[in-house]
Amino acid sequence: MSVLVFVEHDGGEPTEPALQALTFARGYASGDPVHSLAVGLEPDGLGAYGVGTLHVAEHDVFGSYAPAAVAQAVVELAGRLLPTAVIAAGTDAGNEVMAHVAAKLDLPLAANCVEATPGDPARVTRVRWGGSLLEEAALHAPVKLLTVQPHAVAAIEVPGEGPAVERFAPVLGDADLTVRVVGRTGESAGGVSLSDAKVVVSAGRGAGSPEGFAGVEELAGLLGGAVGCSRAVTMAGWRSHTDQVGQTGTKIAPDLYIACGISGATQHMAGCKGAKAILAINVDRDAPILSSADYAVIGDLHEVVPAISAEIRKARS
Amino acid sequence: MIVVSALALAAASAVAAGLFARRAWFLVRLVRAGKPVDRTADVGRRVRNEATIVLGQRKLFQRLGPGLVHALIFWGFLVLFPTILLAVLGVIDRDGFIPSGAPLAWLARQGWFVLLVDVFAVLVLIGVVAALWIRKVQRPPRFKGSHLGEADLILGLIAGIVSTLLLWHAARIALDLNEAPAGWSPVSNPLSSLFGTGTATEVLERVFVWAHVLLILGFLAYLPHSKHLHIATAAINVFFGRTRARGRLEPLDFEAEDEADLRFGAGTVADLTWKQMLDAMSCTECGRCQDVCPAYATGKALSPKLLIMGVRDHLFREGSQVLAGGELSPLVPNAVTDDVVWDCVTCGACVHECPVSIEHVDHIVDMRRHLVMVESRFPAEAETMLRDVERGGNPWGKPQPERAAWADGLGVRVLLPGDPAPEVLYWVGCAASFDERARASAVATAKLLLAAGLDVAILGPRESCTGDPARRMGNEYVFQSFARENVATLNESGVTKIVASCPHCFNTLANEYPDFGGRYEVVHHTELLAELVRDGRLAPVAGSEEIVYHDSCYLARHNDVISAPRELVSRIGKPLEMARSGKRTFCCGAGGAHMWMEERGSQINEERAREAAATGAGTLAVACPFCTLMLDDGVRQTGSDMRVADVSVLLAEALE
Repeated sequence: MSVLVFVEHDGGEPTEPALQALTFARGYASGDPVHSLAVGLEPDGLGAYGVGTLHVAEHDVFGSYAPAAVAQAVVELAGRLLPTAVIAAGTDAGNEVMAHVAAKLDLPLAANCVEATPGDPARVTRVRWGGSLLEEAALHAPVKLLTVQPHAVAAIEVPGEGPAVERFAPVLGDADLTVRVVGRTGESAGGVSLSDAKVVVSAGRGAGSPEGFAGVEELAGLLGGAVGCSRAVTMAGWRSHTDQVGQTGTKIAPDLYIACGISGATQHMAGCKGAKAILAINVDRDAPILSSADYAVIGDLHEVVPAISAEIRKARS
Repeated sequence: MIVVSALALAAASAVAAGLFARRAWFLVRLVRAGKPVDRTADVGRRVRNEATIVLGQRKLFQRLGPGLVHALIFWGFLVLFPTILLAVLGVIDRDGFIPSGAPLAWLARQGWFVLLVDVFAVLVLIGVVAALWIRKVQRPPRFKGSHLGEADLILGLIAGIVSTLLLWHAARIALDLNEAPAGWSPVSNPLSSLFGTGTATEVLERVFVWAHVLLILGFLAYLPHSKHLHIATAAINVFFGRTRARGRLEPLDFEAEDEADLRFGAGTVADLTWKQMLDAMSCTECGRCQDVCPAYATGKALSPKLLIMGVRDHLFREGSQVLAGGELSPLVPNAVTDDVVWDCVTCGACVHECPVSIEHVDHIVDMRRHLVMVESRFPAEAETMLRDVERGGNPWGKPQPERAAWADGLGVRVLLPGDPAPEVLYWVGCAASFDERARASAVATAKLLLAAGLDVAILGPRESCTGDPARRMGNEYVFQSFARENVATLNESGVTKIVASCPHCFNTLANEYPDFGGRYEVVHHTELLAELVRDGRLAPVAGSEEIVYHDSCYLARHNDVISAPRELVSRIGKPLEMARSGKRTFCCGAGGAHMWMEERGSQINEERAREAAATGAGTLAVACPFCTLMLDDGVRQTGSDMRVADVSVLLAEALE
């Protein structure tokens, strides 16, 4: 009886969700040996997380991300170890690899678990619907396949020695090698990108014209932020679609979002729900955005925005 | 002489029939190689369609002028059909050419028959002239992109066939060879005065009958190689057209036992269903679909006509490889470009308009299914919606526990597991649950149903997206998982009757969930509210406001709900109509998951908002949360001050 954990690492450094998954697996194993599998390099420091044996799969393809190949390595190792469960972190990569494992073994996968009790069936509690719902489920399978919701459990160290390391070369078919990362291109640099900006100043139909963005651009410049806009603005052709904040535009997560003359349609709010604080400037007291805003100024953006800029200048001089 | 004529005719017929048969055999084998789709049920309805759509030319008459032109030619040929046989026999033997006891000989002697022949021959000629006038003088934009030269050739052939028939009859009358009394031939008889009784007429009589028969044989040989193939395929395509609700998409069977039946939409022509192949072979390039397409009207890449022509050309290009099992190139971008596939709002105007029952939307959705599920290739901005539906249960990624927040304080029962089933379950839908502007209709509907004393409940957080936007985007897999979950929830709750205020949810619940074991009585909120008003359980006070009602595609065209919302509007204010209404409504621009995609170029919602504003109405009434949002935006963008409101909101106001 043992438990196998797929450990993601970043150049030999295990990721935090991987350590959380190991901690979770240790609890699930309740004393049974914990094996772990890493691909490519040998990650450091796993002994402190209770790993007895570290299996390192080696193949050229593991130099980059190749989910089906990793899954095949997991399947091959699981075939040798016959664990009661295979566990991975519920990250994008972890879920993808485990989905392939589940497909290859024709077994169910319980993704994004926060709790699990071994048994037949195993009882799991898992996160559904983007974190808004916890589901309790029974998992019927000879081998339980689980991923662990990141940051749902803390990674806890235990005293222990370095694990025994066993290397192996998994047998991979052509199909396992098809999907892999062959190159990466960085985002084009220049200016503050909308998606990374700490401050975003946007305007909507209330700007009135392309020229109506002058005040907004000035304020964004003073705050070291980026300029955004609503869909109404790009539809009117006042600004390019790259500036659009919203469900079908750029998703932003600034510390402060200043939304000027934007009513706050659902489609817009879906793009700025990551903002830590929202300041709405709007002439309409009933605009939907006011229900989501932390601060609001009822007034014309063409008066309010220049006034804010003037205050900032005054404070700085 | 008789032997020579018979041999010559046999040779000509063999060539024509050979050319026809070779092509026809290829087409038949192609259709037989098509993927399966079940179109066997409802034979009665199919026969009726054959009678009304083919014989009655019902859909052609949706445009009166061109419809009449086509009907004249079509009905003319039905009447003239026996004359083809008579002419064939006439080619062989000029005199006494029909065995006298044969029914055909009897027919040829009937005065009424030769009268009919003359009248319909002239009507066909009038039809041909009118068709040429439409094509050459009127030149309607619907023909843009069609093969115009081919149409001219066909009209010329038809004119040739009919004129040689009249001339042949005239020559026979001149030679006193007519079987029926000449007085019954109001056209051929006067024409016969052109001819003498000498050898020249005897020769001309032979020339006309030979020309007539050779033109018909030429037509036969040309037919299956041209767009005029519809003569052979249209009646079949109409027979196998949809008989179930038009809003329902054919489900994909992911559990198919036989791997050959497993489809993930259409990637190559080999993935087309046999009905889709027949569609492609039935298109006459008339362009009625193009004329009503909202995407085409606003300058997008999509023309439903060019879509079907693209599929057809690609099918014929690669047909022999399909049969031989050879390499095939992808439909997108070879038959149509990516833009074409994504421009469609699935409003179904093209399908409704098509006289030969082509189902354009099914082609689009099958191509989307392939692009999304196999190639993961679709407009990037829609990714958020697909992810939010899959993970969040609604297309905006709103927190699911807040789904019933709109109902706070209204006293609506939230159905918990184990609760007794309500008389009517109100399926609110994501838009009315979460969107600030659309919520007004949920609040109004709930208040009205409670005021009428109905036992109504909502599912609250147990309601989720029906999967419609994912399905229309092509993500059938996500749709089916939602369909199964929602059906399980509804069945476990013992729900029997559902009222939905979103036409997209309504369509999915009523027409698509039965494929997944969910069978309920589903009504739209306007239908239920109209019933409550009719029964006197709600008594609105009429105002003087002029209200124009916009039909939602998924309500009016896909589901025939047309009168109920109008009944309500007429009880609330003074109803006005737009030219494009009822089953021929014009989309708001949100359908087919376009609510979550960016629109290039001019905007469908602005076009519709302008049309509504032109009626002079102060209020634009709608019955769909997406129409509410799109048209409210459209009204603002076009600078109108019209109010956009759901019928339920207006009704609730008329009660206060």
